Amino acid sequence: MAAMLVATTMAACGQDDGATSAPKAPATIPELTKDPLTLSFIWFDWPPAHALEAFANAEYTKVRSNVTIKVNTVPNANWHDAMFTQFAAHKTDFDIPILDSQHIGEAVTNGNILDITDFVKKNIDVKAYNPYLLAAYGQYPQAETGKRDENASLYGLPLLGDTWTMIYRKDLIGDKPPQTWDEMISVAQKCQADNPGVSGLAFHQANGSDAAAVTYNTVNAVYGGNLWDSKTRKIDGVINDAAGQEAMDVLVNKMKPLTAAGSGNWFIDEVNAAVAQGKACIAFNWIAASGGLLDPKQSTLGTTREEILDKLGFATLPSQKTNLVPLGGMGMHVSAYSPAANQAEALNFMKWFEQADIQKKWAAAGGVPSRTDALESPEFLNAGPFNQVYADSVSRMRDMWNVPEYARLVDIENTNVNAALNGAKTPKDALNDIAKEQQGVLDSGSRKGGGGL
Amino acid sequence: MSNPVPLTTDHPGQVASATPPAPGRSRRLSDRGLAVAFISPALLLLLAMSVFPLLWALYLSFTDYSATRGGPAHFVWFENYTAILTSAQVHLRALTTLIYVVGAVALQTVLGFAIAYLISRRTHGRGLLTTLFLVPMMLSQVVVGLFWKFMLDAQFGVINSMLGSLGLGQVEWLTRQRTALISLIVVDTWQWTPFIMLIALAGLTAVPKYLYEAASIDRASEWFRFRTITLPLVWPLLLIAVLFRAIEAFRLFDLVYILTSGGPGVSTETLSFHVYKVAFLGFNTGTASAYGILMVLVVIVLTQLYLRYLNKLKED
Amino acid sequence: MAVSVDEAVPTGPVRDHTPPARRFGGRGRSVLEIALLTVLAVVMLFPVLWMIETSIKENRDVYAIPAKFFDFTVTLDHFKDVFIASGGRSALSVSFLNSVVVAGVSTVLATVLGVPAAWAYSRFAVKAKKDQLFFILSTRFMPPVVVVIPIFLMYRQVGLIDTKLGLILIYTAFNVPFTIWMMKGFVDEVPAEYEDAAMLDGYTRLQAFWRFTLPLLVPGIAATAVFALIFSWNEFVFAIFLTSSDDVRTAPPAIAGLIGGTTVDWGLVAAASVVFALPVLAFAYLVRKHLIAGVTLGAVRR
Repeated sequence: MAAMLVATTMAACGQDDGATSAPKAPATIPELTKDPLTLSFIWFDWPPAHALEAFANAEYTKVRSNVTIKVNTVPNANWHDAMFTQFAAHKTDFDIPILDSQHIGEAVTNGNILDITDFVKKNIDVKAYNPYLLAAYGQYPQAETGKRDENASLYGLPLLGDTWTMIYRKDLIGDKPPQTWDEMISVAQKCQADNPGVSGLAFHQANGSDAAAVTYNTVNAVYGGNLWDSKTRKIDGVINDAAGQEAMDVLVNKMKPLTAAGSGNWFIDEVNAAVAQGKACIAFNWIAASGGLLDPKQSTLGTTREEILDKLGFATLPSQKTNLVPLGGMGMHVSAYSPAANQAEALNFMKWFEQADIQKKWAAAGGVPSRTDALESPEFLNAGPFNQVYADSVSRMRDMWNVPEYARLVDIENTNVNAALNGAKTPKDALNDIAKEQQGVLDSGSRKGGGGL
Repeated sequence: MSNPVPLTTDHPGQVASATPPAPGRSRRLSDRGLAVAFISPALLLLLAMSVFPLLWALYLSFTDYSATRGGPAHFVWFENYTAILTSAQVHLRALTTLIYVVGAVALQTVLGFAIAYLISRRTHGRGLLTTLFLVPMMLSQVVVGLFWKFMLDAQFGVINSMLGSLGLGQVEWLTRQRTALISLIVVDTWQWTPFIMLIALAGLTAVPKYLYEAASIDRASEWFRFRTITLPLVWPLLLIAVLFRAIEAFRLFDLVYILTSGGPGVSTETLSFHVYKVAFLGFNTGTASAYGILMVLVVIVLTQLYLRYLNKLKED
Repeated sequence: MAVSVDEAVPTGPVRDHTPPARRFGGRGRSVLEIALLTVLAVVMLFPVLWMIETSIKENRDVYAIPAKFFDFTVTLDHFKDVFIASGGRSALSVSFLNSVVVAGVSTVLATVLGVPAAWAYSRFAVKAKKDQLFFILSTRFMPPVVVVIPIFLMYRQVGLIDTKLGLILIYTAFNVPFTIWMMKGFVDEVPAEYEDAAMLDGYTRLQAFWRFTLPLLVPGIAATAVFALIFSWNEFVFAIFLTSSDDVRTAPPAIAGLIGGTTVDWGLVAAASVVFALPVLAFAYLVRKHLIAGVTLGAVRR
């Protein structure tokens, strides 16, 4: 105990490495070990995490028989904290952190993940991807929406693609999904009026993770707004411009009244429950989280998958002023703190994973691939009713900021949108508070003391 | 806090000598040596795990250190403290915490005392009743939080379902500003009323019988007896129970994290929850440390004042 | 702060303050009181009953509106799921084992460190004893969220993050103050004269403690250990911030992790909660006579 005290005292006073840029991964994969090795991932607890573990253990071991894959899972609410506290400890129990696209800036700036630009150049066929998908899960500084900056560095490769799907009740509103946001709202209104006990809409409103923030961002994009001007780092005056105000007004005054009472803390699982229990006409959820809807054991909509599919339709999001949809999904990254042998194995895994035939197998196993050929393959399109939705959405995606301050920006947006949705703030105040507080976070670099309040 | 350790020179290895020496062994530890040998391991552990971290936090609280960004810490002296004390965000959380602490502790004191009083008047089944009432406080806050979240769910929750069958409307327990804070208070009250009950019961069953007998000879009214005999005897115990509950409630984190995660908006964010956000969302370790030190100070100062008041009460 | 109360709670003697005839409508009032007590008992116990009921319901019935109180199909599937996953042992059952190790070892450590210290504080004139004792107590009052920051920084230097040892150490540190305070009360109750007499017979002070005092303290030690165990068993904040991998994580964060995926299996949450709560309830029942001292760090004794 005393020894520990001394050790920590010295450590406290002495060391603190100033390195803040990401270390580089080698361009070619170093020689791999023949000894047994466990390649560990970290993700939050949801079906794709279990699918990945099963898939990788079944397929990757065919080429690397001495490797075992372990996907550590943490509660969704704890995901960012669990990864970044380990990064802060400079010791990780994972080799491949599965970062949300928005976490990249924080990880890169702190030097937590490897720069794999050279590795990608040498080993990955970048032309096989929609450029924005490749950029979204790996590039920093962030790419412009829809593009990739080929001179920027890459820090990750796509693991699981995702976006929102509109889930609608074919038996209640007809086979044809609404095409515009306005139409969607009026259809939901009518459906709610016609079907007592069923609410018009269900979507994410919670103040944790990125729930309410993604919802507002989606409406903001559809109504032609912007989250920020990345070049001038301006948020105040951008997010709360006329388009932004209109989006907040639509969300709070037109969409929220069509949701169930008490839905103000809903996230992925509550929306799914509402759909499965037949309580919503139209719902929005992440595609990767929608698989459970087809499980008859959890649904009251039918006793077989087919019966459920007779009632549930999946469509791309309606458009209004733009046809943008939220970018979801996550990339694979390499922890700067894992042993060299594991880093080499991680790079080898990534190279293996991004091959055309493996991407198709991943699609068949329930994953969402990113390579264009895999996205267009029958293996993918036939694997789930929402996969066509994803394929159609790829060219329409927009992401949030992936700056180092992301965690605080999203918290400000979450809590304020959540407040507006639940009547704790007026929509206008909430939006202006978001603009002001987020701008404050971006500008706080020169501030002395009290950072983070 | 006063200097706690006059005895740290000793080697912790001496705990090993806590086994009895063979009879007749000549070397005898002096009483003082024994005290040092027995006390120092525990104090050393506390030094390493409580005092040292606290001192470290104190040091960090004067810097702009961040646990993830690395780089050296720069001294900003009292800037973190002034920023916290003047922040409207912090004031808001302090108010929320105050309402929560006062509301929850008051409610569970009244309820807990009432239950204890009712139980103390029963002659049969007291043991069983007490045991049953105590179940909630033995459960983990995680279990309590999760399960109440399920029961308070506006659509599928059993509470609204029961209100519905009584012909009452649905209540949005966790998603309205007022009801969310009330829900927190209710859940905390559910879990900790047994605590107050337990202590009040100890006081009530200890009131000497002869006092009541004397009072009944005087034909004193029931209320008069309650006020002049029961209450004064139970009061000091109750005050200690309230102190414990207030300290616990002041640092509430688990329940908020699970039940509302601070929502709607930030209206149920307590001070502890805010510290968590400062510490782990932006990794503003310096600010979070100052925030934490201030919270510890509040607890210590208020506890001291309260104990002083309590001692005065005892002397009177 | 020591307040002595004469009687044990559950076994308190029957008190009968006034002859019933004296009271205003004695019987009516008694019925009213019983009714009130029943209502309160139902309200307090309902959530627990509902949890047990949910744990044996099928998922369809869990979401039924209006809620089903009696007419549901009983299933033990959720309990099976707590222990068995598709690939063998479930992550939840691993976390239960971790909880057993962490809570068990930290309790033993706290007892080994705390009991001798409590004895020493009780028997010897120690410098600034009151201050030391208050200091010891005050370490227990720090908000865990606050303590976790410097502990985290310290642990990362010595490599204790995401290890069972790290959790064991911090739980021990949180339980030692409690053990000292609670045990000091028990030691105070054993007359020092026993030891003096033994020393007159030629035993050393240490032998006197070991042979004569310690055996008398065993029930108190058992009660104290149980409370330390309950604390470590239920603790959540340190567990969630200091651990992340499946093979280290204890049960509270693992149970919290059951929600926030894509669907919430409330049946599983309820079953896991029931399994998790059972040992604590059993232990609490065993030490029911010492509950008051236990929950007040020994400040209020029976």
